[in-house]
Amino acid sequence: MAWLSRQFSTRVIVLIPIAIAINIVLGYTVQTILKLPIYLDSIGTILVGVLAGPIAGALTGILSNLIWQYAPGIGGGTIGPFAITAGVIGLLAGIWGQLAVYKSRPASGTQLLLAAIAAAVIVIVVVIPILNNPAYTDPNVGGYPSWVYTAAAVIAVVVAVVVAGFIYIRRDLAGLWVAVAGVVTGIIAAFVSAPISAIAFGGVTGGGTDLLVAALRQGGSDVLHASLGQGLFSDPIDKTITSFVVFMILSGLSGRLLARFPLGERLVRDRAA
Amino acid sequence: MRPDPGPDPSVAIPEPGAAVLPAYVLRVPTGPYRALNPLTKFVIAIASAVVAFGVRGWTGPLSVLVVTAAVALIAGVSRSLRRFVLATIPIVASILLVNAFLYPGATDVLFRVGPFAATGTGVTVALQAVLRVVAFALSVAVFSLTTATDDFLADMERRGTGRRLTFVIGSAIRTIPTMGSRAIEIVEAQRARGLDTEGSIRRRLRGIVPLAGPMVFGSLGEVEERTIALEARAFSAPVRRTAMRALPDSSTQRVLRWVVGLGSLVAVAVSVAGRFPLP
Repeated sequence: MAWLSRQFSTRVIVLIPIAIAINIVLGYTVQTILKLPIYLDSIGTILVGVLAGPIAGALTGILSNLIWQYAPGIGGGTIGPFAITAGVIGLLAGIWGQLAVYKSRPASGTQLLLAAIAAAVIVIVVVIPILNNPAYTDPNVGGYPSWVYTAAAVIAVVVAVVVAGFIYIRRDLAGLWVAVAGVVTGIIAAFVSAPISAIAFGGVTGGGTDLLVAALRQGGSDVLHASLGQGLFSDPIDKTITSFVVFMILSGLSGRLLARFPLGERLVRDRAA
Repeated sequence: MRPDPGPDPSVAIPEPGAAVLPAYVLRVPTGPYRALNPLTKFVIAIASAVVAFGVRGWTGPLSVLVVTAAVALIAGVSRSLRRFVLATIPIVASILLVNAFLYPGATDVLFRVGPFAATGTGVTVALQAVLRVVAFALSVAVFSLTTATDDFLADMERRGTGRRLTFVIGSAIRTIPTMGSRAIEIVEAQRARGLDTEGSIRRRLRGIVPLAGPMVFGSLGEVEERTIALEARAFSAPVRRTAMRALPDSSTQRVLRWVVGLGSLVAVAVSVAGRFPLP
């Protein structure tokens, strides 16, 4: 119980509503004003998870979606059933926080270069099985448009280069772990979302990513696998970007402020070295 | 601790629910359906969602749709429902197109548009999914149009929900409009400094940091002040707050909540087991 109540100090209780508002307002702004095809609606959830712990993170995710759905004047849309996914994302963020994934780890020389290369390789390794999905490659399964395959490959390479560049330019090994955490979160989120989307919404979400669902179905996937294919494409990208945004936010906050949160000591850089 | 000055005859000591409280504190919602206890309306909303999504086939979504529409008429909110129904148009269009034309394994072709064939199976699945989405959207709309957040939270706290949870929910709902207007201010300020919200994807991606940065840092700065303010007001005191407002509840409503709540779960269980008698 002490483990649980430590996650809910007054400071965390104050942070959670602000995180929920950040999720909703930033998600809405990115999707409608910047008109980007990513969600970016879990920055607050990941922030709380990393600062406070898994249960606090999960609660932030679940409440974000329920409030977005049910609150008067804000509610509407179809985000509510995905509260389960948001909860899982917060839970994972809490685990990353306890493992000190977001802690800054300055490095230089060979070590830095190796980390940058490793991060790029991880991104490519994660993408290859997705690209090897028969729906993308086998012309016998269906007339799958080749531009999607090319686009997927290009995006994978761009993400790999950006992640490697981020690690190298900031001279910080944490980028490698943040990328891994983002990709793993995205893959798990995709597996949790796909059945929800299939059962509740006939496999689509009403966003631009539905084009991908349509293409995968044309390629012969069933309802669940088409949704999963779309999720495995969008979610790792979205969660990796979100994780890096959270990492940049955390490195912009003062150590004095961070250390007051339950997992603060796992974020602040050791001074001894 | 201040020394107790003794009872002051000019100040009435408020007892829970006593009549000395001003009317605006005690006001209770009136009117058909609105006057129900917030928890009753919440259980009905959740049960509607569970039935709409959990009972497969036509019966689940259709029955929710009919019941919710009837409730909306009784509560007099049917005109305001339009906004909620309009909000489902993108997903409804997507469900119809993707499922009608691209339903996996369906062969009963109805008609063809270019290389795509609409199938009977696909159209059936699409219509059921659309009904589910619209029924769910209406159940959400009826709840949020007939229930004030304050009432819902006050009632939850009176029933023993922790103060921390009610604070989180209430504070989040109040923070969203404030943060929304802050987001608009930031977007306009950054536009004035040359932020591109119309250009290519690459240019718009660059907008994330100038947008998210000020918003997140600005609001995180408030955490410290609010924490001190709450602690100064005994937020983490180990006692329960006195509930000043008691929203009317009745044994009929209590029975209704159990029947609706358990009934929806049984209906879903029967449907999942494949023994639901209706289509």
